[in-house]
Amino acid sequence: MSAPLPKRIIKETERLQSEPVPGISAIPHEENVRYFDVKVEGPGGSCYEGGVFDLELFLPDDYPMCPPRIRFLTRIYHPNIDRLGRICLDVLKNNWSPALQIRTILLSIQALLGAPNPEDPLNEAVAKQWKENQAEAIKTAREWTQQYAMKK
Amino acid sequence: MSVLYALAAERQLEAAAAEAKAAQTAHQVLPTEDEALMSSRGEHAVENSTPVALAAHEDARSLIRLIQSEIVAKQMSVAVDTTTLVQEQVRWDECVSGEPVADKACSQTLPGGRLVATYALAAKGDLYRESEVRYEVSGDAQKALDVSILHEVLEATQSQVECQVCYGLMLDPVTTFCGHTLCRKCLTRTLDHSLHCPVCRRGLGLPPSLIGQPSNKTLVDLLNALCPDAVALRFAAAREEEAGGPGELNTPLFVCSLGFPNMPVFLRIFEPRYRLMLRRSLESNREFGMLMYNRYGEPQGDLGSVHFYQYGTMLHIDNHQLLADGTSLIESRGAYRFRVRAHGIHDGYAVGNVERLDDVPTTEEERLEASETSGPPVPDWDVVGQLDRMSTQALLDLGRSFIERMRGRSANWLQQRVLDIHGQPPTDPALFPFWFASVLPISDEEKYKLLPTRTVRARLKIIAGWIRRIESQRCATSQLPPRARVTMRPEAEIEGEGETEDETDAEEVEFTPTSSART
Ligand SMILES: [Zn+2]
Ligand SMILES: [Zn+2]
Repeated sequence: MSAPLPKRIIKETERLQSEPVPGISAIPHEENVRYFDVKVEGPGGSCYEGGVFDLELFLPDDYPMCPPRIRFLTRIYHPNIDRLGRICLDVLKNNWSPALQIRTILLSIQALLGAPNPEDPLNEAVAKQWKENQAEAIKTAREWTQQYAMKK
Repeated sequence: MSVLYALAAERQLEAAAAEAKAAQTAHQVLPTEDEALMSSRGEHAVENSTPVALAAHEDARSLIRLIQSEIVAKQMSVAVDTTTLVQEQVRWDECVSGEPVADKACSQTLPGGRLVATYALAAKGDLYRESEVRYEVSGDAQKALDVSILHEVLEATQSQVECQVCYGLMLDPVTTFCGHTLCRKCLTRTLDHSLHCPVCRRGLGLPPSLIGQPSNKTLVDLLNALCPDAVALRFAAAREEEAGGPGELNTPLFVCSLGFPNMPVFLRIFEPRYRLMLRRSLESNREFGMLMYNRYGEPQGDLGSVHFYQYGTMLHIDNHQLLADGTSLIESRGAYRFRVRAHGIHDGYAVGNVERLDDVPTTEEERLEASETSGPPVPDWDVVGQLDRMSTQALLDLGRSFIERMRGRSANWLQQRVLDIHGQPPTDPALFPFWFASVLPISDEEKYKLLPTRTVRARLKIIAGWIRRIESQRCATSQLPPRARVTMRPEAEIEGEGETEDETDAEEVEFTPTSSART
């Protein structure tokens, strides 16, 4: 048995639908409205441009006191995202604040795609490549985007 | 500020009685919060210059500006033929003071209903803040105008008074040093997790649980006046939210360790979710249910394999001490036993629907004793049968004499400090086993067997079994398992359910697709 949905989650969900963020969508599951299917478009000008990345997002019981849990489902070549799709992003960990929201988190993730940070890596191998041969890394990222993030 | 009182009062425009009062308060504050009107005749010194006061002021100010712009916009569109005569009144205390007042009073016919006209008069600087006003309203058009302005103002202000944590109307708002305002409860919960402002991340420097922190009085008054119905609704909703989880899941549950009726339990609460649970418990009946963590995942009746044992003890908080770091020390005592019928999660902690568990009536207990003791003699090897033949008093004496013997041997689990905490062994056979279990250094899983019992005899026989086993081991008294000491420590430092959330080490991502999967 789960607790009634906090008003905040209801409002956030409504606003995500009524004022959608360009390039981002988050749709709650019908049977569990704390669980969202998320799609994030790779930012223009980045090596992820043209790709549409699937993520899953879950609002834990003590959301918004605790951050949403979120990970990439689509494979992505990025120094701050590991092979299980986990994301190294401060606002998802220690820098979370209850004044942040799903919208701001997804925007942060989109921004992370536009600005990979190999100095704070989650995926050591990718970060190493990124630092040693950036051109090659970007090429790989583009290939992966082509291969995994462009359906049809 | 009291333009808002006026606005609120205007909602009852139909009620003639309200009119006089509305007129009285309508303009008192209209100019005061308004920078543009700083030149009007009233005194506008900011009375309070501390940062908090300023921040609080600022908060209300943005709201006032919003209201202003709404009114000004309306003012522009008002047809010239809709007018109200606004007449400044001489107040009785001004008369008493003997000051010449005749030239102060003014009376003007201005466009708009009462709100717009009063606003215009104040804007021109022709109105004392303290003055009283009389209106001569020319017709229904003005009333309709007032009503529609009120409506628009309410709409416009809605987003300004929404809390950034709960997205609801700010309830008992508190303003931080950095000037951000949130519901008291929302800010308190934020403090459980972080010492930084959720909006700007500046250090908050606020006392834990916001004890003694004043509310933003200005905003409270404003909201109460502006939208009393919405405030009342919000209060009711908050109360319901506090009450517990869905439906009947109204008992907070602390999955932690064992407790027994009548026995003290000392806890230190530091996990954020339990701080919240504790605050809510203190605000209601000071009780919460304590359940033992089901570390081996043993099935629990209808509940299946849950992370706690289904029988627990309701604890009543006798004393509570909030420490500077936000953690709490609590002294509680077991009130009664219960069984969990259903459970769920509420704001991160467990909640349940519980059924109180009491012993059978005394007559039933006596009947049981009579029937068990009157059976035919049993052979020596039949240990269970032997116990059945013993009277309840004899079973109690068996326990008490064991304690006496152990004391004689200076067993360290019966040291003075243990007795100071748990008291002397009770003479009541119903309670003795709970006391016994509280001091005896054996496993909690074994002690737990006392909780589901419905008869005094059943409990006494369980402890008789323990005694027999202990005595059959030779140096049982001097060698204590190390974990037993935890039970006897006056303040067991307990951190929730012993779950660790170590995401980074896990090879597989732990992801809970449904929150109900756990329940
Ligand atoms: Zn709030
Ligand atoms: Zn702040």
